[in-house]
Amino acid sequence: MKKTKQFFNPKRLSRLLIATYIVAIIIGLRLIDIQFISHRKYTEAAEQNRTQIIYQTAPRGRILTEDGKVLAGNQAAFSLYYIPAAEPTAQEYLNTLSGDIAKYLDAPQAEILAKLKSAIKSGKATMLAGNISPKKIFSFAELQVYYSGLYVVEETKRYYPNGAFLAHLLGYMGTMDNAFWRKKGNTLDYRLNSKIGKSGIEKHFEKELKGRDGGLILEVDYMGRVKQKISDAKWRAGADIFTTINYDVQKAAEDGIKKSLTGRGAVVALNPRNGAVLAMVSSPDFDPNIFSPYSDYALALPKKIPEYNLAIQGLYPPASTFKVITALAAYETGRLNPREETTCNGKIYMNGREFKCWHRHGEHIDFMEGMAQSCDVYFYELGIKAGASHIEKMQRLFRFGRQTGIDLPGEKSGNIYGPSKRARNKTYWFGGDTLNLSIGQGELLLTPIQMANFAATLANKGKIWRPYYIDHITDYAGKNIFTEQPKLVAEVKLKPGAFELVNAALKGVVDNATGRGAKVNGIDVYGKTGTAQNPHGDDHGWFMAFAARPGQEPDLALAVFVEFGKGGAGAAAPIAREIIKAYYGLNKGKKNGN
Amino acid sequence: MAIKFSTSSEQSIKRRTIDYVLLAAVALLAMVGFLIVVSAVSGLSFGGEVVKKHLIALPLGALAFLFGWLFNYQIYNEQYKALYAMVLALLIGVLVFGIVSRGSNSWFRVGFLSMQPAEFCRIATILIAAAFLANHHKTIKEFKTLLYIGLIVLPIFALIMKQPDFSSIVVTAPALLVLLYAAGVNTFYFALIFAFALTAGIFPILWTFISMNPASIESSKILYLVWQLSHSWVYITGFCLIILALCWFVWWGLRQFRLYVPVIFLFIMAGIILAGFFTGLLVDKQIKPYQRKRVEAFLAPKSDPKGAGYNVLQAQIAMGSGGVLGKGFFSGTQSRLGFVPERHTDFILAVLGEEAGLLGTLGVLGLYIIVLWRIALIAALASDRYGYLVCCGIFGIFLTYMIINFGMLIGILPVAGIPLPLISYGGSNLVASMWAFGVVESVYKRRLTVIA
Repeated sequence: MKKTKQFFNPKRLSRLLIATYIVAIIIGLRLIDIQFISHRKYTEAAEQNRTQIIYQTAPRGRILTEDGKVLAGNQAAFSLYYIPAAEPTAQEYLNTLSGDIAKYLDAPQAEILAKLKSAIKSGKATMLAGNISPKKIFSFAELQVYYSGLYVVEETKRYYPNGAFLAHLLGYMGTMDNAFWRKKGNTLDYRLNSKIGKSGIEKHFEKELKGRDGGLILEVDYMGRVKQKISDAKWRAGADIFTTINYDVQKAAEDGIKKSLTGRGAVVALNPRNGAVLAMVSSPDFDPNIFSPYSDYALALPKKIPEYNLAIQGLYPPASTFKVITALAAYETGRLNPREETTCNGKIYMNGREFKCWHRHGEHIDFMEGMAQSCDVYFYELGIKAGASHIEKMQRLFRFGRQTGIDLPGEKSGNIYGPSKRARNKTYWFGGDTLNLSIGQGELLLTPIQMANFAATLANKGKIWRPYYIDHITDYAGKNIFTEQPKLVAEVKLKPGAFELVNAALKGVVDNATGRGAKVNGIDVYGKTGTAQNPHGDDHGWFMAFAARPGQEPDLALAVFVEFGKGGAGAAAPIAREIIKAYYGLNKGKKNGN
Repeated sequence: MAIKFSTSSEQSIKRRTIDYVLLAAVALLAMVGFLIVVSAVSGLSFGGEVVKKHLIALPLGALAFLFGWLFNYQIYNEQYKALYAMVLALLIGVLVFGIVSRGSNSWFRVGFLSMQPAEFCRIATILIAAAFLANHHKTIKEFKTLLYIGLIVLPIFALIMKQPDFSSIVVTAPALLVLLYAAGVNTFYFALIFAFALTAGIFPILWTFISMNPASIESSKILYLVWQLSHSWVYITGFCLIILALCWFVWWGLRQFRLYVPVIFLFIMAGIILAGFFTGLLVDKQIKPYQRKRVEAFLAPKSDPKGAGYNVLQAQIAMGSGGVLGKGFFSGTQSRLGFVPERHTDFILAVLGEEAGLLGTLGVLGLYIIVLWRIALIAALASDRYGYLVCCGIFGIFLTYMIINFGMLIGILPVAGIPLPLISYGGSNLVASMWAFGVVESVYKRRLTVIA
């Protein structure tokens, strides 16, 4: 039996119920979306919400010499944190605490007190001081016992045990700039106060050197107040970088430049067999340690440092060392007769202009003698015989005017000089220019590393290697993650006997002539001095050389440049000698004797 | 599609005096609510007091349920004028004798218990309106009945607004609409009401949007006009004239198709739209800064995650991180660490979502659907018009609660600050809700009694 109720409106009631079901389904679907589909996203947000991390900076990867001497390492540094307690803290307590901390930190007490108070007000873990030296840490360890809430976090900071040693290549550390933060802020766990490499290897291998920071994970509430300690994550050290630098060679080179007439200059030493950089010096230099000092209350950091790396960025005329190119050009064109002699009257005339030699060498100057005495007149004549175009071509063969390709930013390419270069600049080439070119003066410009690479090319008879300074990189577990492969850039192919002839002349230079200063007993040293005329002051001194044990192939090539050193023979050659002795281990006895 | 309400003999013959399904669902909700409130407040400094008060409210709620169930609901019909007088007296009383808490004067204090009369007045308002509609069912299709209903509830709303307790009205007004709809009010009037509500609501929202993005007026001509409407009398007058002209044009257009609509309807429509517009203007000028913040947060929750949008975002993070099974009772980190605001009242569902997971939230949603379904069923079984209307009104109340609470949490409605009955902490709300369920059960109990 069905009774019909007049007051009952089934259509509208059922519509209401259907609407209710539809709404419930929409709500249910959205709940499934939030709690099931997007669960991971919200979980991450929740974790981020409730944790605060006190970071521990990981030890940065070390930078070492090829034989394992540490050039850049780490020192223990400590950060002092204050984690406020949940219950209120008495004012007297804070006063004594801030007083004690200030005493040990050499900081104004008011500043420490203000930090403590803001920490308590916000309830957040706050860093009172960073980069505290280990000497002070015992005092703080003691304070930690007396006062609750103090927390000492062990960290590390960069340390360069040898000071300014190899500073230009190593680089230095600093706070990151905005551009870096934008790019890397969310990768590799960088934080706003993280230190990063600002130049040299430190910058170039930032990714490898940077380890994974550890930290103390705290649970915080919505106000950021610390509730409890969740976990302690250990850091992971960065990768160690083994350079090709030879410590002894580098040391000898640095000492040599420092003791030279002006103390300014550059040295590059290469292994001519593969292009490995054994030493690279640029002076004036700087001590990278000043950028990672202990204590935040240290002196203000210096704004300007001599960052300019003369070894790859300094451009100078090669001067007499260039005579080798002239000789090779003449030999290659068949116009060099080593036995042909000339007479040096101290000058030569060309188109009515006088071109001087640095000394009046007299009669019977043949090729060997011309090279040994660095006689300008001989090479003026040889240059005219060879022709400017061939000398220019020889420069191109040796890749003058092009970067050596060493993996460092800012390397200069230098300048070649010759008729076609002139023609490109829409000016004329005069006879006098040929004379200037033959002895390496004029618009010709080379960097010390190009000079060293030139010496290496002569040493290995034509192979041009790309200079490199990284040997291999090992990660925190000691696993090799990178090994550098030497790269042959080009090979200079000359007529047979060309290199032998020139190298014999270079040996003569060192054995009993202008390069005598670089002579080392028991080692075959080949070299050439150079004195670059400098219109603005004293002349610069060059010495480029390579050396070998008797009967072996050369395994050391170097270029020494002394700015304002007045001459290559006096200023640069003795430095080369010390470097060669250091390389062959011949200075040990002397050292012990001291 | 229509749902068939079984009024078959089987239902009628059974001499059951209480609907166990509804009772079980309500009891389960209250249990879940108690658990989650205890969990939510553990760790709060005033947590113990909350639990104590909730423990007192539960038996009081049971009493209120018994009271509602045992009393014949038809008493409310007969004595609706007395009930109306009581409601007004209570509301005036709370304004005079009440205590101010959190900026609103809406509490009576008896001993250490405090009572919020507005909670009971919500239910009473529905009972009164249902009584009026039952007594005037012959003129239900007429506009004047609607007008009378409006006049009856207006003093109640005005007194509640005086407290101020805006959220009470947010719940009662939609419930009244549900009641009117179920009572059979002419659909045209609903169209009018919706047109009114739409115009009254859309303009303040648009103005808030424009004040948030001042650049938008330059890019959009329409928004520029809307913006001018908020303060320029020239534009407002023009707007009125355009609306009137539009209505006349529609009337004229319909005439061309030989559809003769009484011109009065169109002018009522125009009047309603304009009335809505001016109400919106009034609301926009009167709205409290915190309420505007809520609207802003609703329009763009991500724009200021630490500000107004923070609460909803944090509630969603808490719910989302709970996953399917939840983190377990007493283990929700987000709510425990204070990221979820008002965690034992307005945002209790977030705590539930975090600790009991999707199962918890869907479970509560499901129980609510069961409750609503049973109330609708009992409405269909009622023996008289009044019983039917009361059930529909109470249906409307709980439907509104459900939609607002869940809707706010999932980001489809702005934050209104309304607790979820039976789940949230709130003694008055719990007792009033239990009373309402008792009344529904009373309708069920007396479904076979035929009164002339």
